[in-house]
Amino acid sequence: MISLPVVLVAAGLMFAIGLYGVLGQTNTIMVMMGVELMLGAAMLNVVGFLRYSWPDATSGAFFVLILMTLMAVEAAVGFALVISAFRHSRTAEIDDMHELKG
Amino acid sequence: MSDLATALVFWPAVAIMLVTGVYVFRTASMARAGLLLLASLGIEGLVFLALASEFLGVLQLLMMSGEMVIMVFFMVMFMPDPGGLMGMDMTHDKRRSASLAVAVGIGLAVVAVLTDWPARVVGRDAPDVRAIGFEVMGRSMLTFLFAAMTILFAMVGGVLLAKHGGRFAQIGAAGKGEA
Repeated sequence: MISLPVVLVAAGLMFAIGLYGVLGQTNTIMVMMGVELMLGAAMLNVVGFLRYSWPDATSGAFFVLILMTLMAVEAAVGFALVISAFRHSRTAEIDDMHELKG
Repeated sequence: MSDLATALVFWPAVAIMLVTGVYVFRTASMARAGLLLLASLGIEGLVFLALASEFLGVLQLLMMSGEMVIMVFFMVMFMPDPGGLMGMDMTHDKRRSASLAVAVGIGLAVVAVLTDWPARVVGRDAPDVRAIGFEVMGRSMLTFLFAAMTILFAMVGGVLLAKHGGRFAQIGAAGKGEA
């Protein structure tokens, strides 16, 4: 049977997979993919709470909408930063971006 | 949706979502990684559908299919080996990252199982999409406008950041000149 803890465990595992990507990958875009998975896990949490704790709260759907907005914003600003960094240092590898100065 | 139908959709969808999520970071091909992420987050939309959130499920499918296709384009542009044919290793601190991720995953799972969560299932049906529409036009209008403005500012900020010869490019050029 599906219950709130089951959904939260699935979301926790998804968050852990995203965390592995953020910590273990050297490429900026792969790190962004990890962040996307972590935000996806947060959305799954919210949907789980909406279903099993407050199913009649329509306003709860807006938390998920805000998270989707955050994902889109993260992608837009992240890609812009990658383009800027690539133009400057000709690489998108995080290990090569260890200095904040030019 | 009946309990059996929900379970028949939920369990396979969660399994595929997690497995494709893992394989995003296991494949050597960047294009494949992007498509696997699309699969993982797209199937999450199916999980939303199983959890009686039809509106959010469909929205998730639409949003992620657009976003991930753009991400695949960027990968192909910026990766030295987008096809994964050269066998490049793009990982660092693999063991520590995996250990920390496993510890966090187990910790979250233990908290999720042991906590006494409030359970108050009122109905099996999804919230009326019509009600969500009225919510958008009612007291949640400000939240919706805030999301719209955030996306607008991100678009403008993104263009300014990526613009050739923009503020940060000038700093970079100055740095190179000093060196």
